[in-house]
Amino acid sequence: MLNIQTRQEGTASVVSIQGKVNFEVTAQLRDVIRETVATAQPKLLVINLEGVSFIDSSGLGLLVAARNSVDKSGGKLHLACLPAPVKKTFDQTNLTNYFSIFATEQDALRGA
Amino acid sequence: MAKGVVLVVDDEAPIRDILSFYLKRAGYQVLTAGNGAEAMGEMGRLKPDLIISDLRMPEMSGDELCKRVKSDPTTQDIYFIILSALDGTASRIGSLSMGADDMIPKPFHAQEVLAKVDSTFRLIGMQKEIRRQNKELTAFQERVREEMELAAALQMGLLPKLPGEGGGVSYTHCYLPAAGIGGDIYAVLPLADGSTAMMIADVSGHGVTAALISAMVKTSFENQVRLGGEPLAWALGMNEDLCRSTLAEQFATAWLGRLDPATDRIRYVAAGHCAPLRIVRGSRGGLQRSEVLRGKGFMLGLDAQLPFMEHDAEFLPEDRLVLYTDGLVEVEREDRTMLEEAGLRRICAELPAGAEEAAAAIIAQARTFNAPAPFVDDVTLVVLDRRA
Repeated sequence: MLNIQTRQEGTASVVSIQGKVNFEVTAQLRDVIRETVATAQPKLLVINLEGVSFIDSSGLGLLVAARNSVDKSGGKLHLACLPAPVKKTFDQTNLTNYFSIFATEQDALRGA
Repeated sequence: MAKGVVLVVDDEAPIRDILSFYLKRAGYQVLTAGNGAEAMGEMGRLKPDLIISDLRMPEMSGDELCKRVKSDPTTQDIYFIILSALDGTASRIGSLSMGADDMIPKPFHAQEVLAKVDSTFRLIGMQKEIRRQNKELTAFQERVREEMELAAALQMGLLPKLPGEGGGVSYTHCYLPAAGIGGDIYAVLPLADGSTAMMIADVSGHGVTAALISAMVKTSFENQVRLGGEPLAWALGMNEDLCRSTLAEQFATAWLGRLDPATDRIRYVAAGHCAPLRIVRGSRGGLQRSEVLRGKGFMLGLDAQLPFMEHDAEFLPEDRLVLYTDGLVEVEREDRTMLEEAGLRRICAELPAGAEEAAAAIIAQARTFNAPAPFVDDVTLVVLDRRA
């Protein structure tokens, strides 16, 4: 079960995810991200992964696709609060060097 | 053409006549019978869509007729309306629990019966349509199932034939796709110079799309190896191939290696894939030490411009290589823990001698560790032994 919450912070949109991000839930998450990007057209999209216990390759694929689509519309994607198991997956796939990753949501919003 | 066939069963001829008159005028084909036994005879000649039957009749009563119609698989879909002077809730429940679909109390207005028949035929029409669609769906499902079976067989054909031999190595695999067909693939190619090219990959997602891409990954790998060069060049070429031919969100983690027996080394590229284990003199079996062939790298298919890095590790005669996809070690148990790399290393600390036996032991022990949770993702395990 995936719990997704979205909110606006000025010109930024924040998507907070809780649960296991795997093949079964990527469709749900994809819809939320698409809708957020389409309706809010944020300059900055922050995805907070604090509550994510596990992410598989389809989840990673989704995040990469999200980054590419935000890039194309002239925005930025920042990831925040990666828990240790997620961080490990990112390290293994070198995605730590592909995304802008921040320790806290505030840092991600400031882009610091 | 008649709107449908109605069988009117009543021992009173005037009732049969009046119902026949109205129903025929409304465009229905009408059969009549004076009791249940006669009705059974009529039904033998032409199967009605709807039976309107009185309850109390000589020879065979309406409830007996209803019971027979509803208990016979060839007639149970005939709509059955009881026509009865026994009014009141008790009799209504009695008739319906017998299997009748509806009931009209006597005395009745012919118009009332006609209205009920019309509405019943609307219902019958809808039911027929649902049955037709259901049949179509079942046939479609069957076709899809057959095609999936064919695709699964085809995909199995893409895997190396077992037992794998050549280039001074022997190997085997366990391939367990999650959904009949899967996104895992591997290849072992002995090269003319005596070295061996190896690849294992896991395409994001499951099912048909992942399977198609896995076939593409294999072809791309074979092409790159044919072009010569080292794993780094293969990775760059395969990455370009995948970027060109896949959609967003479709990637593959992969590990590409080249074992050179002349130097006793494996050069490899890790593209976001689980790091393989080298078991030192593992092909002898028994208690052995393992090393992890670490390496960081992007998944294939992310971006054509991304760089990759080549690594290098010792691999001596009698060493064993364990290649796998994450499905093997990432099953969440009831206590929310997973086997992970550390658990796999514990299993690999002591394995039997043959590659086949070792692979079976790894799968069995991983299953025991996960139990009762089953494998949920595609699982591929390759055990490759270098000969003495």
